[in-house]
Parts: sequence; structure tokens; C-alpha cells
Amino acid sequence: MRETLYYMERDFRRWSRGRVNVISALILPAAWLIFVGLALPIRFTDNYLDFITPGILVLTMLGASLQGGALLMFDKILGFLQKFLAMPAPRETILFGKILFITCRGLIQTTIILIMAIILGAHYLNPLLLLQTYIVLFIFGVLLSSVMTTVALSLEDHDSYAAFNSMIAMPLFFTSSALMPYDQMPAWLATIAHLNPVSYAIDAIRAMQEGIFPATTILGLLIGATCVLSVSVVVFRRATL
Amino acid sequence: MTAIEIIGLTKRFGGLVAVDGMNLSIDSEIFGLLGPNGSGKTTTVKMLTTLLTPTEGDALICGHSVTQDPRRVREQISYVPQDMAVDPKLTGRENVIFYAKLYGIPRPRETADEALVMLELADRADDLVKTYSGGMRRRLELAQALVHDPEVLFLDEPTIGLDVGGRRRIWDHIIELKKKGMTVFVTTHYMDEADHACDRIGIIDKGKVVAMNTPTALKTEVCRDIVAIRADGKFHGVFPEGISYLGRTGDELKFKAVNGEEAGVALSRAFTNDGMNVRSVSIRQPTLDDVFLALVGEQDETMAFDFQRFRTMLRRR
Repeated sequence: MRETLYYMERDFRRWSRGRVNVISALILPAAWLIFVGLALPIRFTDNYLDFITPGILVLTMLGASLQGGALLMFDKILGFLQKFLAMPAPRETILFGKILFITCRGLIQTTIILIMAIILGAHYLNPLLLLQTYIVLFIFGVLLSSVMTTVALSLEDHDSYAAFNSMIAMPLFFTSSALMPYDQMPAWLATIAHLNPVSYAIDAIRAMQEGIFPATTILGLLIGATCVLSVSVVVFRRATL
Repeated sequence: MTAIEIIGLTKRFGGLVAVDGMNLSIDSEIFGLLGPNGSGKTTTVKMLTTLLTPTEGDALICGHSVTQDPRRVREQISYVPQDMAVDPKLTGRENVIFYAKLYGIPRPRETADEALVMLELADRADDLVKTYSGGMRRRLELAQALVHDPEVLFLDEPTIGLDVGGRRRIWDHIIELKKKGMTVFVTTHYMDEADHACDRIGIIDKGKVVAMNTPTALKTEVCRDIVAIRADGKFHGVFPEGISYLGRTGDELKFKAVNGEEAGVALSRAFTNDGMNVRSVSIRQPTLDDVFLALVGEQDETMAFDFQRFRTMLRRR
């Protein structure tokens, strides 16, 4: 599986050479953190920044995954995939490399957001909490980037992918527990939020902030990620035959 | 062992037969597959490179079946598709090292350097590929393809979109590879290039190989030299052996012969001996274009010509 790392390395090199994409990926979550985290008049908690930081971290991961889903499709459209498929490296490593790249890139972006949040006054310097947060974010990243890569492979053209992307991005975020706790939501929204996988990741991090290890939520995310990853392997095999 | 052994290879897409029972045996040579658009060239290459599964039949690459043992096949081959897929944001060296690592070569850096030197890219190896010309990008793709020293190299339209100098350079490299013992399977639209570089040529039409031989043999087989003679008077004798009379246009007599130059001399001698006054002799060598047209014919475009669209296009100019 060394090849997975080589594919990931290629994407990291390409990404690091494009200055705009490195910065642009950070603008939206940073704006949320600063404008919403600091400015919103909230009554249910004294430190809204502490409350919203997990939401913004997961939002960053969400954005990274949505942005990354199209990468494999572009490799296909531009002819790279054909060359990779004619090589002896196991074909699935192409897919795994992509998912790993999207997830790790997301982790780098969340790190920057996390540093910003800490500078702004969020209480996040506990090493155990940090470690657990990264584990949750990693699993969530694998889950979501597998979904988006699969979607991109099945849609096969960039316009429909962009349309799909903008259709799900905001609803996923707003119907999650990112901005307010369940008891502050209208009942209908709370129901949706309980079903939204984005909430799972956010709730897991919030539980850890309070010193609880959310074993069931993490297990749920892990099972979800495994299932989606298997589906994307099947779709990838079908798309490359 | 034969490098490429194709046995009844067939690919159907629904009702369309893209490749129809192809049989070929190719070894230690540059084999050119020529054919009009949509004749099944790329489909053939994709089956041989394990990117498409054949509907029927099989192909053995260095003894490994593309259907039974695709992974082994991939270890023996390199494939350079049409679309010039190199990473413009990486340097030439990074592009090649990436492939060397993927192929699992023990010393990726050194091997990549050797490939870059061989394709005359060493002095630009650390520049980003976006600064490379089309010809350089193509050579970079060859360098990538050669890092693992494949037995068989598949090239799909290797010179498409390149200028004259770039094309010649690519072919020089391909010929060099063949001399080192590599088998090269190439598809192209450029007849003159195929004529110059390929050891054997297969012409494919509607999924079937309609002719296969060396370029020279194809030219003699399919159309002979054309000899045109202008002469006054009347000929009463017998035409020299191996020359057949084709017809007369104006005062020009046309003949078909295996060797045009010899036939021209023999004919003008015979005419002069018969008391005729020979004014000019011209010989036209058939080109591979003639062979191609003779076998495949003028191609109808698959899509009907859209006159309305053509007019709109003209108006926009």
C-alpha cells in the first residue's frame, strides 16, 4: 500500500504549488469563526466560541471534502487515471490515496482554524482533547471524502458535481448541531439535526470537551466510514472497467 | 516468446462491434495501427493495456493473458495515451520520480535521472512542466513510461499536435527504443510518419484488420507505381513484362508497374524503337496515403454535415 502514499504525495505537491487554493480553503471557516463566533448575541452560553469551535472545525473538514471530491474526476477527465490504471500498482490505491489526501489536507486546514480559535480565546489546549478531536475529524473526513469521491465518479462531469455540491453544502451545515444545541432548536430542526452525520462529528467533539468519551458516536462514524468506503471501492472498480 | 499475441480479440459496445475478431502477432518491432476515426484503434490499445475487458478472444503480452492475469501484463507494459497527462505544477523530475516510485523501482531518483537524460530533458528537469513545450511534455511522458524498462510500449497518437521538429524527435526516440529490443505498438493518423518509422503496418477499418505488412510491401501490394508517358505516334509492339496499361488522358498514356523507374526507361526505349517520339516520362510513387485510400476509401463523417451550423459559424467570423 506504499502506492497510496505516493499518490497522496503527488496531490500534496500539486496543492502546495497553487497559492490561491491554500488560502481560499481557509477563508470561509475563518469568517464563520470570527463573525459568527464572536459577534452573534447568544444567551444560552457564556462562551459561544467554545461552543461553536467544534462546529467550525467540522465545517472546515466538510468544505475540504466537498472541494476534494472532484479531484479524482479531474484525473479521469484529464487522462491521468488511464495512465495510472495501466500500471501494476493495485488500482484501489489510487482511490485510497485520493481519500487520504483530501482528509489530511482537511486536517491541516482544521489545524489552522484551531490555532485561530485558541488565539481568539477558545479553551482547547488539552492534549487528550486535541488527540481525540483529530481522531474524530479524521474518521469524519474519510467518511465524507469517500461519499463525495463516489458522487463525483458517478456523475462524471464537473458541472453536475458543482451543482450537487452547492445543493448539499449549506443544508448539511445548517441542519447540524453546529450553531446551536438541540434544546434551542425548533422541534423539526432538532429531528433533522439528530439524523445529520455532520452533527455526530460535532457532538462527539463537544462531548469530549466536557470530558466524556463518546464511544457510540465514534463507533457509528467508524462504521459509516467503512460502509461508504466499501461502496466507493465498488463504484471505483465499476468506473474503471 | 512473442511480445504481443492477439487471438480473436473482439469488443462490442451494445450492438456496435468496435473490434471484430482481431488476430495479430507482434514482436521486437514498431507496429503501426492505422485507421480512420472510430475504426477501433484506441479500443484495441485499451484492451491490450487491460483498460477494457474484451467481449471475446484474448491477447497475450509477453505470455500473460490480458483477461486472466492483467496485473502481470501491466508489469510488462507502458501506455502513453493521447491526452498528454503530465502534472504542470510539478517539475519534470518530480513527474518522473512519481512514476518510478509507483512502479516500485529500487532507486527511483537515479532511474528517473537516467530516463530524463535519455529523452534530452536533463537540463530542464527542475523547471515546472507548465513551462514545457508540447514536444517536451510528450518526451516527459515517454520518460515516465520508460522508468520501469517495459517490454512493450503502447503509444496512442504520440505525435498529435506537435510541430515538425517535435514529431521527428519523438520518432527518433521510438526508433532508438526498438533498436534496444523493445516492442512498440503505435497508433497514428500520419501516414508519412508511419511509413518512415514502422516496421509493419496494420490498417484497420470498422474493427477489422484489412491489410498488414511492411510499408513497402503494402505499397507494392495495393497500388503499384504509376508511369505517365507523353509520346507522338502509334505503338505496334508488345509492352515489356510486368507493366500493364491503365489508360489514356489527353496525350498522356498511363501504366501501372511494380518498379516505376525501370518501367519508365523500358517503355520509353520500346516506344523509341518503334519509331515514336517520347516527349516526357513521369513516375509517381504511391504513398501510404494511396494505400490507405485504396483500402479504406474516402471516409464519410459519422455525423451528417450540418449546413445550418456551418452557416452560423461563418457568420460569427
